[in-house]
Amino acid sequence: MSKVESGAAEGGLRQAMAWLHTWGGLWACWVLFVIFLTGSLGVFDEPITRWMKPHLPQAAEASGDTGLDDGFDRPGAVRMGQAWFEKNQPDAHFWGVGLPSDEDPSIRLFWQDPQENFHNTRIDARTGQPVDGSHERDSEGGHHFVHMHFEFHGGTAGIWFVGAFTMAMLVALVSGIVIHKRIFKDFFTFRPGKGQRSWLDAHNALSVLSLPFQLMIAYTGLATFYMLYMPAGIVAHYDSEEAYFADLLTQPQHQEITGIAAPLAKVDELLVRAEQQLQRPASFVSIEHPNDSSASVLVFGRFIEKPGEYRLLGDGGGQVFFDGVSGAQTDIQMPGELRGGAAQDVQSVMRNLHFAAFGGHLVRWLYFLSGLAGAAMLATGALLFMVKRRQRSLNEFGSATPRVYRVIEVLNVGTLTGLSIACVAFFWGNRLLPLGIDDRPVWEIVVFFVVWLLSFFHAALRPASRAWVEQLLALAALCLLLPLLNWLSVGEHLLLYLQRGDGERAGVELVALATGVLSLWGARRIARPRAVPARARQRAAVAEAQS
Amino acid sequence: MSPRSLALLSRTAAALLGGYALTCASVIFLGAVLPLPKSQAILAASLTSFAVYTAVIVWVFATPNLKRIWWVLVIASLVLTGAGILLGGEA
Repeated sequence: MSKVESGAAEGGLRQAMAWLHTWGGLWACWVLFVIFLTGSLGVFDEPITRWMKPHLPQAAEASGDTGLDDGFDRPGAVRMGQAWFEKNQPDAHFWGVGLPSDEDPSIRLFWQDPQENFHNTRIDARTGQPVDGSHERDSEGGHHFVHMHFEFHGGTAGIWFVGAFTMAMLVALVSGIVIHKRIFKDFFTFRPGKGQRSWLDAHNALSVLSLPFQLMIAYTGLATFYMLYMPAGIVAHYDSEEAYFADLLTQPQHQEITGIAAPLAKVDELLVRAEQQLQRPASFVSIEHPNDSSASVLVFGRFIEKPGEYRLLGDGGGQVFFDGVSGAQTDIQMPGELRGGAAQDVQSVMRNLHFAAFGGHLVRWLYFLSGLAGAAMLATGALLFMVKRRQRSLNEFGSATPRVYRVIEVLNVGTLTGLSIACVAFFWGNRLLPLGIDDRPVWEIVVFFVVWLLSFFHAALRPASRAWVEQLLALAALCLLLPLLNWLSVGEHLLLYLQRGDGERAGVELVALATGVLSLWGARRIARPRAVPARARQRAAVAEAQS
Repeated sequence: MSPRSLALLSRTAAALLGGYALTCASVIFLGAVLPLPKSQAILAASLTSFAVYTAVIVWVFATPNLKRIWWVLVIASLVLTGAGILLGGEA
């Protein structure tokens, strides 16, 4: 492989950056495509979850109501949760009670066992009995895409994996800007039907148009996990992460567990006190070290989105800290209160920018489309690499070159169309897997990964051009038939959704239909390429010789 | 492995590992010297670090002299970390 590195830091800045952009971009583009496609779908995680769980109520318009009486007995829910924990998990180090609301009328319980593993379950808010979910379509829903997006379902290792590729993205963007001579002219340049030149134009136009979004989304993604990716400053200057956080947010210091038994304060009374001070309903109560002398209780106020009033900063629901034994209030942070100075404000804004946690539906659609533009930028980049070399091998890998090209081609097919098929297959799995089986949500994700793996096998076994067409047709079929599957399996369909004004569920099917039509068009284009006039072909050849 | 492959490997390692080390050092140093309360200084430096890392990687791939790259990375990392810990008051 003596010729691979020719070009690294050689021949001036622009050429060195061209080398970095081509090779750095190539090895990163497949993983980044996965991050972008699943991230774009993850923007709509709630609508997708609702589509996958037909038993959930239709999304209500945010009322902005902060009234304390919304028909749910929250102190009762806290008592019920506490009783369940005392009976079933007395030794846990952490108890959390998710309070009932319009979104989910059950009580959600979370705990951390003495081995520090997290668990959760749900109990009925009226009876205190475990919720019988066997008749429900239990599913990870849209969270599956969010988890693929930031950790590939791989926990902390997965977050590091995504972070490393996000850094590659930043480097590819910066090197791409340096090599780009005519950044504004290319806004308006698109020469279709000219092979390689068209792919380059498409790649440039997509990248330049969406560049601000791509830079923002990559950087804010890294900033969201700064404590994991860049812990050096905290490690060098503080004893622990908790100490740093307590200092930054001027909150009570984290208490170590003492092992001295002490009865827990009446948490339902603490909840009532907290709600009266925050002047809004609470959403969550967390109890650290229950029945230990170091116990503390933290009550979170509900996040309330006011219609038409969008903010990038200071939209928190507020929180109140209590000593878990004496019940004394140790700190209160009012809704919208900002702490940690300008640096923390910047971090909060970055996080909200990344999560599209402002601006409602309009911004979410903008993010969805910009994210897809990013995915398309990566896809056109990957395709461009191969289109350029299919005509004339550049022989970068000596005698192994044809084999490396073949691997790249298979990776292109299996990632671009294969992942798209797997995403739709996840919806099919949701409707086809039987209800009431153990770990149903996990099986849906298994369907996703198995279909994706099969798409790589298929790409490896078929000639590239056939593989593209066949996978695009499979994608089109799965997308276009999804509404039919929904109607046959649970009796709901697009017209019903539209009639009910359920824009979220209808949106899922409309996007599926649009994707299906697009894939069908793409398959046709590849199967029967438009006849290119001789003159255009000549021009393309000239353009290529110049590039 | 050919000398050119070795050089590429060394350059990539300099960019990824050396770059990360220098970036960590910059956070430790800025966390100590930025005129903000310590926790906020660390946060500000951490948020900036991803731009620093990007710049270092680009610099490594744009600079022909590999030996110089390694010297700069090692010395700058050591100096910034040492100064940051000394000025920060606690290790």
